[in-house]
Amino acid sequence: MRAVSKAKNHSIARKSLRRTIFFVVAILFAASTFDAYNQAQLALVLILFIGVLSVTLLTGISGQLSLGQGALMAVGGYCMALLMINQSYSLWVAIPLAIVGSALAGLLLGIAAARLTGPYLAGTTLVIALAIPTLANRFMSVLKGDEGLPVDVGYPPVWFTNLFGEPSYEQWQLYVALPFAAIALFLASNILLSRTGRMWRAIRDNETAAALSGVNFSRQKIFVFVVSATFAGLSGALYGLRGLVGPSVYPVSLSLLLLTAAVLGGIRSIFGAFIGTVIVVFLPDWIDAVLHQFELSEQVSNFMPALVSSLLLILTVVINPAGVAGTHLHKHKHK
Amino acid sequence: MDTFLAALFSGTSRGAIYALVALGLVIVWRGAGILNYAQMGQAMFSTYIASTMITNGNSYWLAFVVAILVGAVMGALLDILVMRPLSNKKKTELLSSESMRAAIPVIASLGILGVLQALAGIIWAAEERGFPAPYAQEGFTVAGNVMPFTSFDVFVITVVLSTLALTTLFFKKTGVGLAMRATALNSEVARLSGIRTNFTRSLSWAFSGAASSLAGLLITPTSNLSPNTLDLVLIIGFTAAVVGGLDSPAGAVIGGFLVGMVISFVSFYDTPEDVFLAILAVLILVLIIRPRGILGAKDARRV
Amino acid sequence: MLEVKDLVTSFGSVIALDGVSFTAQESKITTVIGANGAGKSTLLRTISGLEHPASGSITWSGKSLIGMRAEDIVRNGIAHVPEGHAVISELTVEENISMGSLFRRRKFKADVIAAQDEMFELFPRLKERRKQLAGTLSGGERQMLAISRALVSRPKLLLLDEPSLGLAPLVVEQIIDSINILCRTTGLTVLLVEQNANTALGVADHGVLLALGKVVADRPAAELRADANLRAAYLGY
Repeated sequence: MRAVSKAKNHSIARKSLRRTIFFVVAILFAASTFDAYNQAQLALVLILFIGVLSVTLLTGISGQLSLGQGALMAVGGYCMALLMINQSYSLWVAIPLAIVGSALAGLLLGIAAARLTGPYLAGTTLVIALAIPTLANRFMSVLKGDEGLPVDVGYPPVWFTNLFGEPSYEQWQLYVALPFAAIALFLASNILLSRTGRMWRAIRDNETAAALSGVNFSRQKIFVFVVSATFAGLSGALYGLRGLVGPSVYPVSLSLLLLTAAVLGGIRSIFGAFIGTVIVVFLPDWIDAVLHQFELSEQVSNFMPALVSSLLLILTVVINPAGVAGTHLHKHKHK
Repeated sequence: MDTFLAALFSGTSRGAIYALVALGLVIVWRGAGILNYAQMGQAMFSTYIASTMITNGNSYWLAFVVAILVGAVMGALLDILVMRPLSNKKKTELLSSESMRAAIPVIASLGILGVLQALAGIIWAAEERGFPAPYAQEGFTVAGNVMPFTSFDVFVITVVLSTLALTTLFFKKTGVGLAMRATALNSEVARLSGIRTNFTRSLSWAFSGAASSLAGLLITPTSNLSPNTLDLVLIIGFTAAVVGGLDSPAGAVIGGFLVGMVISFVSFYDTPEDVFLAILAVLILVLIIRPRGILGAKDARRV
Repeated sequence: MLEVKDLVTSFGSVIALDGVSFTAQESKITTVIGANGAGKSTLLRTISGLEHPASGSITWSGKSLIGMRAEDIVRNGIAHVPEGHAVISELTVEENISMGSLFRRRKFKADVIAAQDEMFELFPRLKERRKQLAGTLSGGERQMLAISRALVSRPKLLLLDEPSLGLAPLVVEQIIDSINILCRTTGLTVLLVEQNANTALGVADHGVLLALGKVVADRPAAELRADANLRAAYLGY
């Protein structure tokens, strides 16, 4: 089945490249019109977008529901932080290495999880997600328990400031996150359009048929986990760069947040992943703007975003499970 | 020897509660084919209501009964408002995939959990509260030694065992119980027998809701009440259900006690911090060695 | 009397019933025959409410069944024995039969017990195995159990889907005989779907021949049996 021509691969790459460039331009444009606070929010969107993509690939495309993406993010974050602190690597070196670490974690998870389906998979990954704080406390000396490992984005290199002037802290966060988000987008787009994407969709839609058509699917399932883990790990590393890598940074609710974003926006497409991330990140701000007129106690306003996003999740799943982006977005013939 | 006894008793008492949680999960799983992650959220919510009632001066027992009723009603409402519309959806493109069909109810139940936790935060703030126990929590004194077994433990075990006995009798001997079993095993044949399967399914949810509320009431006195405390219990209950066999109520009970023992012994002989890792290890072991659980049927649904 | 008019049932783009019309007379055995895929099972499933028709009408004793839920149709005196897995293996024989009369318990308590006893008289082998799990029964016994489950609800119309499937001829004979006796003695109306057209036409009063979702012939059973051309063209013998 290696009949896919080089020309086809090239056209896929070109399509993905076009999307990526469009994306980068759009982000930069938006950033230039935003104030500092919203620039930081945008940076957060880019960071979480990569994490949500990991859910899209794993669940939307390949049909495996994992509630432990937050744990994989934590793996990426801890790898990077340990390398930066103990080995004094710069983030540009530490992050790729962290990605490798996450891939390994994904491999382990995949091997354990490939046999599981449905609620067993969901439940097991949930348990793993909850295990993070425990691990951090167990290996207190290295992982520093609840206290965590402080890291940050650092300062832009001299050549950068010479070329573009001194960016604000929020802008620099954005400029660090953007190339990674762009690469993630490019790769995700490639996968979705390629034969690999088709195989994953086959696994999702009809396991028995996929097996009959020769797809080796425990190997593919594990591969999905590895790929998804790399996205999650990258996201987790960038997420940690906002100041701290520790159990409080990667709670279970983070996994649920990613899942909510993916479902709300549209679990089957990259565009859906992006929309979902935007919704989830800006929702607290929007709610604040609405509630501002009412004099509500702190109690209420603290939990309102969680209430609204959970309600939206339920409504989406019951009324329109395909999410905002729906299922029509990709122009290829297969689903 | 002392430690061993203490671990044994604690394991029995805690195990009884986990058995109850696992039972609730299994009832909904068999009755509706869904793993209800919101279950402990329901329990948390009804325990908060009980707590508020007690704070306002009502008797513990009144609050107890109300909480269980609230749990049952909540369960039924969840089925009617969320789960039934979900399963009635016409086959859209998204739902034609097997795994999405299985994943969507799970996502819905996670959403419900989120709503319940957020509502609890809004209504009662996330402050931790104590919750009273109806019986003393100090150990019995026998022959001058303080036993690691309290009257509350006796209460817990008595309640759980009688609930289990009553449940078994209910399912085996009553018409409604038969209808619930039939609906769970083969809803088409059940419908053709004139059984109102929608109603019966909601009953399963109500039952499960009541069971989990009971579990929440029994376990909260030994920890604190906050919107997130019972998350851990859900994980343990899930593991217990998997260990025992997700489609077997008897298995759920056995699984609960087994897991309770494991946790107890790990707590006493190792450190409580390792409990989580122990649970994870047990879960993975079972899923690798005997995925259907101790009493699970061989070709039971795995999706 | 069961009246079906212009019934259309489709699954997506597949039209299983393409305007089916016929009548099943009261207290008579009407058989629906035809090759595989002709739509016979779909017809029964539509009548019993498991499938919803796209258009057309179904009336039983003057009452329209369209839009009714399956569990309510049962309560109107119509019992359906689907093909294949019509019993619940994890329940006992007794429980399977009980299941069929649960909805009558409140109003007809004594009769429920009487009905159950009648089933054991009709099928003594079930009585021997009453406490056994249905999954441990032989194919023939399971079919008897499925029919008992349907009959215990005291239906006026019995929908039987391929009772002979996978059973030895002797067992089939026994079952068909019991149905025949039941119909003649209690006035039960029977709609019998069968692959084995010969057996079906041997016991039925009336026959409806389906092909690709359409009614090709609607005649007294004796006539259908005698029509060699029809048999050769549609039934292969």
